[in-house]
Amino acid sequence: MLAMQRLGFLPDRRLYRAMASLLVLLALVCLASLLLGAGDVGPARAWSVLMGRGDPEARFVLDSLRLPRTLVGLVVGVALGVAGALLQAVSRNPLAEPGLLGVSAGAAFAVALALVLGATATTLRVGVAQLGAMAGCLCVMGVARVSGAGNDPVRLVLAGAALTGLLLSLTSLLLLFDQRAADEIRFWIVGSLAGRQLEHLFALMPSLLVAAAIVLAVARPLAALSLGERVASGLGHRPDLIRVLVIVAVALLVGAATATAGPIAFVGLVVPFAARALAGPDIRRTLWLCLPLGPLMVITADIISRLLVAPSELPLGVLTALCGAPVLVAVVRARRMPTL
Amino acid sequence: MGTGRFCKETMGMPLLAAAILALMPLSAWAERSVETAFGTVSVPESPQRVVTLHEGALDVAVATGVKPLGAVTTRGGDNVARYLAPHFDDIAIVGVVQEINLEAVLALEPDLILAPPQLAEAQYRLLSRMAPTVVPLSEGLDPDAWRSETRLFAQALGREAEGEAALQVVDARASELAERLAGNEAPSAVLVRWMPQGPMVMSEELFTAGLLRAAGVAIHDAGLVREGVPHSDPLSFENLSRVDADWLFLATLNEEGREALEAAKESPAFARLDVVARDRVVPVDGQLWTSATGPLAAQAILDQLYDALSP
Repeated sequence: MLAMQRLGFLPDRRLYRAMASLLVLLALVCLASLLLGAGDVGPARAWSVLMGRGDPEARFVLDSLRLPRTLVGLVVGVALGVAGALLQAVSRNPLAEPGLLGVSAGAAFAVALALVLGATATTLRVGVAQLGAMAGCLCVMGVARVSGAGNDPVRLVLAGAALTGLLLSLTSLLLLFDQRAADEIRFWIVGSLAGRQLEHLFALMPSLLVAAAIVLAVARPLAALSLGERVASGLGHRPDLIRVLVIVAVALLVGAATATAGPIAFVGLVVPFAARALAGPDIRRTLWLCLPLGPLMVITADIISRLLVAPSELPLGVLTALCGAPVLVAVVRARRMPTL
Repeated sequence: MGTGRFCKETMGMPLLAAAILALMPLSAWAERSVETAFGTVSVPESPQRVVTLHEGALDVAVATGVKPLGAVTTRGGDNVARYLAPHFDDIAIVGVVQEINLEAVLALEPDLILAPPQLAEAQYRLLSRMAPTVVPLSEGLDPDAWRSETRLFAQALGREAEGEAALQVVDARASELAERLAGNEAPSAVLVRWMPQGPMVMSEELFTAGLLRAAGVAIHDAGLVREGVPHSDPLSFENLSRVDADWLFLATLNEEGREALEAAKESPAFARLDVVARDRVVPVDGQLWTSATGPLAAQAILDQLYDALSP
């Protein structure tokens, strides 16, 4: 508790209550993710597996298919939600979202390029995706620093949309010209949790731990930065260093999520938006709430993606975009654009 | 500004028409005519400069001994399909099926254009000004459409006899295979395209499916493909057991089908299929099995089927 306060997190009653109810909700959604699927194993059969009984078929579906994708959904959701909150805080722009700003598209393009060049190893993909995400981040932050664009959230999003469009079409171009990896690359245009396995997750752990350490270190200076650069400097923080660290963390998180599930847009927009609505604009509170909110959104979307067109499945990226687009419109249309 | 553009357009039209007229060899015109989707079309007595805008048409041309000057790429590739590549030292690529490069076609000065059944009317109007354009009539997915297409293209090329012969070779090969399988119950089979997020099951109404049926293989789509659609959406891994059959043909656009099979085996849901345990999964070339049509493609597919089914 004391350690948390020293790190700059300020848990209070309201935050506790929100956090507790979100965690309960998340637990319920995870349970639903184990019980529901596109196949013949219905909730009743799945439940008996959870109770330690159940037939081998149902046991296989839960152990090898639904459990891995639920866990992958948890990690991807946390990574994307936190990355969104960080990117929004550091750019002081409520619309800054890895998927909208071309960070995810950069990661996906890097992976597709590596595939075309002959890479197959899972571990290589994570690193490559993170480098691509980093390049996307730097492009976006470069745009944000161009005079004017940084103060106008919508212009930043427009620049990001252009970058995303460019990178997506480059990925499609690879798809056109390289039949060798065509089916593999198609996955890197719209993300999905289907067919992901636990091994994919283990490959992410080292970089996620690094990202977590960075987040713990920058949360407090980032909150100071939201008061303005002079105030932050006056409090003894170094704004440029903070920005670099945040960009590294965002690249690690988005790269890890994209390497596992493909590009998934709008999670980094909707989750911090909801977190701010629940706990106010202080980044130290919103980061806490992003932890359960991110997976809540990703896993819910994944469950819907399995049920809508059973026995086939929809790509997860399509569903998060369906949930996210209305939020984007709502933020942009709000009478006064909230500034961070 | 506006006047300038107008002038350019009006001046461009006669120029284009003159260019097209100049490119039409007068000797090419003769009385032979064929029935196409856009009515009766007169074609030259013996076409010399053929351009194919359809993989099946290229196949028929090669099968009947004609070497087209230009062709579209195979789906997902940057050249003609691999099974046809040995027949050509050099063939001009005039675009992809969905997007034909009209200038490239014009530059080849064709005297006959063989087009896909789904050619848009606007495209037809432009192409038919360059050379007689033969478009087969199509009525949705039909596993036997390739036969009438073969006859039509062979007729347009003035090679009816060769076309019939090519069809007969395929039929003979198919019944030969069917005889080998006769006596036992027809083995069941499913054709899928492997994707990292799940396989897509190919329709029973495709060219390949009709061919496999003729060869005595009971190919089915596990009830997963809607009518008139070439393949299903990526199937959920939870339902993968539905593609379990005596044989599973795993099509991939990858050259190394084995690689795709290895990738598929990484998925636990795939690895536990009965057909995998019996080692009856056959990686096949997607260019040939899920994209091509025509008598040569049919022979190549039947050859691969024979190799797969032979113990």
